[in-house]
Amino acid sequence: MDFLTIVYLIYAFIAFYFLFLFVLIYIQNFRKIQEVPSITKKYSVSVVIPCYNEEKSIGRTIQNLIDNNYSNLKKIIVVDDCSKDNSFKIMKEYEKKYPNLVLSVQTPKNTGCAAGAKNYGSKFAKTEIVGFTDADSFPEEGSIEKMMGFFDDLSVGAVTSTVLVHNRKNILEQLQAIEYIVIKFTRKLLEFVDSIYVTPGPLAMYRREYFEKIGRFDEKNLTEDIEITWRFLENGYKIKMSVPSKVYSIAPNKFKDWFKQRIRWNLGGVQTMIKYSKYFMRKGMLGAFILPFFVFSWFIGVFGLSVVLYRLIRIIILKFLSTSYSIQAHAAILSMQDMRLVPNVLIFTGIIIFLFSFIYTFIAFYSIQEKGYKRPNFILMMAYMIFYVALYPIILITSAYKLLTGKVHW
Amino acid sequence: MGFWKKYVFLQALFLTIVMFLIGMYVGIAFEQNQFDEMEGYYLKSEISLMDIVALNNLVMNKNISCEVLKEASFNYADKIYEEATLLEDYEKSGKISEKMTEVHKKYDLLRTILWMNVIKTRERCKTDFNSVVYLYNYSVKDLTLKAEQSVWSKVLYKLKKDNPDKVILIPIAVDGNFVSLESLKSEWNITEYPVVIINDKQLVYDINSSSNLEKYFK
Repeated sequence: MDFLTIVYLIYAFIAFYFLFLFVLIYIQNFRKIQEVPSITKKYSVSVVIPCYNEEKSIGRTIQNLIDNNYSNLKKIIVVDDCSKDNSFKIMKEYEKKYPNLVLSVQTPKNTGCAAGAKNYGSKFAKTEIVGFTDADSFPEEGSIEKMMGFFDDLSVGAVTSTVLVHNRKNILEQLQAIEYIVIKFTRKLLEFVDSIYVTPGPLAMYRREYFEKIGRFDEKNLTEDIEITWRFLENGYKIKMSVPSKVYSIAPNKFKDWFKQRIRWNLGGVQTMIKYSKYFMRKGMLGAFILPFFVFSWFIGVFGLSVVLYRLIRIIILKFLSTSYSIQAHAAILSMQDMRLVPNVLIFTGIIIFLFSFIYTFIAFYSIQEKGYKRPNFILMMAYMIFYVALYPIILITSAYKLLTGKVHW
Repeated sequence: MGFWKKYVFLQALFLTIVMFLIGMYVGIAFEQNQFDEMEGYYLKSEISLMDIVALNNLVMNKNISCEVLKEASFNYADKIYEEATLLEDYEKSGKISEKMTEVHKKYDLLRTILWMNVIKTRERCKTDFNSVVYLYNYSVKDLTLKAEQSVWSKVLYKLKKDNPDKVILIPIAVDGNFVSLESLKSEWNITEYPVVIINDKQLVYDINSSSNLEKYFK
């Protein structure tokens, strides 16, 4: 057995392991996925919206929160991080319209990151629960209330929601819509093994007492929503997810913006990984699963891509040399023999993994009901599984390069 | 609940191991099936070659037509060339076991015997056919050499296709460490590969077009 076959088999083993893991968690818990604890107490809630140059969406985000119909929503704290557009003006108009509910504040100077604005705004919150919503995200009516029941358990520090894509016009947006659904499904499955590793910015609720106790958001981290989740876990608090609480977020519609966002997510993940590396195999599921899962994903991603690149470069050189010799010998550059695909065990393994992954994506997709959005067709799902997912390693390599060259910034 | 949380990781590991063992078993069975098929072909080819060698001996000693021998050698070379193509496919698809490499070596030995037989035929009979022996490396890491060998294969395939009744094509991998092949190589003082030996006289090292190679023919 050659080296590449061994590498391939190890990767296949890992792929099967995680597929089985998620399928088993799903089988054992599928009835509980949509469940939320019934409300016994209407916790007082403040929601902080960090905003920087979001004049197009900020008004709608505020309005969505007002229309959320949570009776004990005390304050909507909108934080302008010294925007250069009309964001602050729009906020002020809402404050004027809803003086008891909306509070518009401005940071003394631009903090340079969402965490800075979030921390600034959270200081104005005096309620039992402090929530955060991105300025380009629109929580669905009733979403806050469906998250509150989880806080009856005093060990729960944070509750996250179902983040979905709002804009689905071009292919990139539609592919992200599929991705968000798969992520949402996976995140809920991870909750059953106490391993939710992120409480995404579009809508997350934290018990204010614990949030302040653990020191609010880390402003040096590029993904403050991942970092704070790990900190909650570090301090022994549980993270829950309310699947029926939906929030629709504006996803990047240009490849360049999408790529930039993903690089930031990756770099933030690495920053968090480094910060918490001391907890390897300690601190419950943080050290036993989340941290190793992150480290392992990075390692196998970078190593796998290196192997693929090595193979690809060798094939290109070989094809170049063969073409040169073929021209010299007046021989066919491409023959039927070159194109013949010989089936082997590894190809069969790859097909089985692909089919399993497709079924997983399919289940994820049919686990959610969305009003007003069409389900993507088969071709789009295939495009997601074949092309979109294949871009992940490129993001990984770019992130690794940026990390090595010290180009880590928001 | 706690039980499932704890054991779901182990359950997944157990399932993966079971799945992998089944997969490996199926894979080994699949490759064994290909190996058995090739072994079957090899056995028949071995018998056919012995028959040709016996026929050659008869031609040497008695007044038996060389035409019969030529025809038998041609048919045999063509047959094992086809089998070599199939063997090549199976070798490519063989990822778990390396049994096919051994079959390849056995075929190389058959082709070496065939080559020796063709040399004898040439000595004994007035032949009107051309022998093209292609010596190459089986295990090549160097990309230049790999590219060169792949183009040589195409050129020789075309040569044979254009001259089906005039050319007997015998490709042999040289890294099988056969004493007989080593003797033949030292006879022509061959140390570099790939090389094409035309009619046991002309050694061609540089890649040529099939039409250029035809110029060496009788």
